[in-house]
Amino acid sequence: MPEPKDVRAAVTAAVEAAGLPLTDAELEAFVSIYPALRAGADSLYIEAVRYEEPALVFTPVPPVQG
Amino acid sequence: MDYPFTIAEAAAALRSGQVTSTELTRGALARIRRLNDSVGAFITVTDDVAMAMAQRADVDFAAGIDRGPLQGIPFAIKDLLATKDAPTTANSLVLDRKWGDGYDAIASARIRSVGAVLLGKLVLSEFALGPPDPEKGFPIPRNPWDLDRTAGGSSSGTGIAVATGMILGGLGTDTGGSVRIPAANNSHTGLKVTYGRVPKWGCAPLGYSLDSIGPMARTALDCALILNVIAGHDASDPTAATAPVDDYTAGIDSGVRGLRVGVPVEYFYDHPMLDPEAKAAALAAVEVLRDLGADVREVNLPHAALAKEANTMIMITEAFAYHRLDMASSKWRHYGAQTRMMIGRGAFYTAADYVQAQRFRSWFCRKSAEVMADVDVLVTPTMAEPPGPLFGVDPAKRLLQPSFTGVFNLTGYPALALPAGFSSGGLPLSVQFVGAPFAEATILRAGHAFQQETPWHLRVPAMAESSAREAQKAGVA
Repeated sequence: MPEPKDVRAAVTAAVEAAGLPLTDAELEAFVSIYPALRAGADSLYIEAVRYEEPALVFTPVPPVQG
Repeated sequence: MDYPFTIAEAAAALRSGQVTSTELTRGALARIRRLNDSVGAFITVTDDVAMAMAQRADVDFAAGIDRGPLQGIPFAIKDLLATKDAPTTANSLVLDRKWGDGYDAIASARIRSVGAVLLGKLVLSEFALGPPDPEKGFPIPRNPWDLDRTAGGSSSGTGIAVATGMILGGLGTDTGGSVRIPAANNSHTGLKVTYGRVPKWGCAPLGYSLDSIGPMARTALDCALILNVIAGHDASDPTAATAPVDDYTAGIDSGVRGLRVGVPVEYFYDHPMLDPEAKAAALAAVEVLRDLGADVREVNLPHAALAKEANTMIMITEAFAYHRLDMASSKWRHYGAQTRMMIGRGAFYTAADYVQAQRFRSWFCRKSAEVMADVDVLVTPTMAEPPGPLFGVDPAKRLLQPSFTGVFNLTGYPALALPAGFSSGGLPLSVQFVGAPFAEATILRAGHAFQQETPWHLRVPAMAESSAREAQKAGVA
């Protein structure tokens, strides 16, 4: 889990990289929920999944347009 | 006759000459006029189109042309699906109004082709995710059982319209619970179909690998009637399934004797945020099935809590990919205040996180398949609690809440939400029946059996009871 100082830096960097035009209040809201978001993402890196293939589908044939 | 309560009742009345589609439609439009300002179900009401479709249905009935049980039935579609005779907004100021202009989504076209009467487009959470923002000019969906409570989302308008009898059936979409949650909060039936069962072309996306289009109606039988129309492959959707389509009403009366029912206690019944009345209602439903001859057993879906995390992350990252160009522009402010904050969370996940969530999904689907090898139906609460306040929900609390619905978007399984009682505060409670992939017929059969034994789906909000009298004055003798 990042320290609070790093949370603000991480949120600011991600927002700037994505180009989101946040207000200061919106930035603070993201700072407050970021640790929980990261904890949720990090929780999926479990040993049971170590050799699993992702559930992604690719076909080289494009779909018919509706 | 009284205003019909279900599609099945109305279909019979139309064919026996007790009522005409014109009368039904006039009554439905009267209800919409009376209630819509209070409950915010419709964005667009297409009165003239609807009356023309109803007259066409009556002409067809008179000529002996019968396109099936939806012919002449008042119906409406979530405003996320394109319909050629009404604009599509996704409940957002952001969606380009040229999108969806002048054509039908595959599902819309299938509903139209069987002669249903389309009354208009239904309110939803913005882009199927963002809660209402009063500053954006769209109707605010309110729960008809308590106007200060949420109707649930994202197919909120469909849920309200079915509950209040504005329509007898409608279409919603479900990515993390968006058919089942409004069905639960408004006290009617809603079916999230197997991923790929209904083609999605012409439906604006939320999470590409999770989205589904499903029926919402008073009863399981009515949902089966709708599914019979919208299910089946179409080459325009690369994720559409080629699995054979059942007749979903064929065996619906055959009961549940011998049906293997699994009760996944961990997470679904022991979560600390599960309301005791919601839990009790689901367990009471299990007992109804047991009394009808089902074989009930306890099962375990490992890491269901992580499945909720994976579903949320996949949904948000796929949505963020779709919206980023608009969000990184002056359109950021055009999104609802909560919509932009929810979708904007996608900026904080990495590409590796997304792939890991899809790897977890593979693993969880295998574990779930092992469970489903021993049971035909899982029974869980649909919601952790009765409908909450319309506004003011703490975003941090929302992140911690369990989701008993999103787990089955991750697996892609079909899941049916059914009314299961009312809280001590008079708010709807709901139970969820989950089946194996493409086993919609099984859960609809179980739902129908449950509804033959319980009264919950027959209750309507008081405001709809009073409007029924006005609807009858307007057109139904």
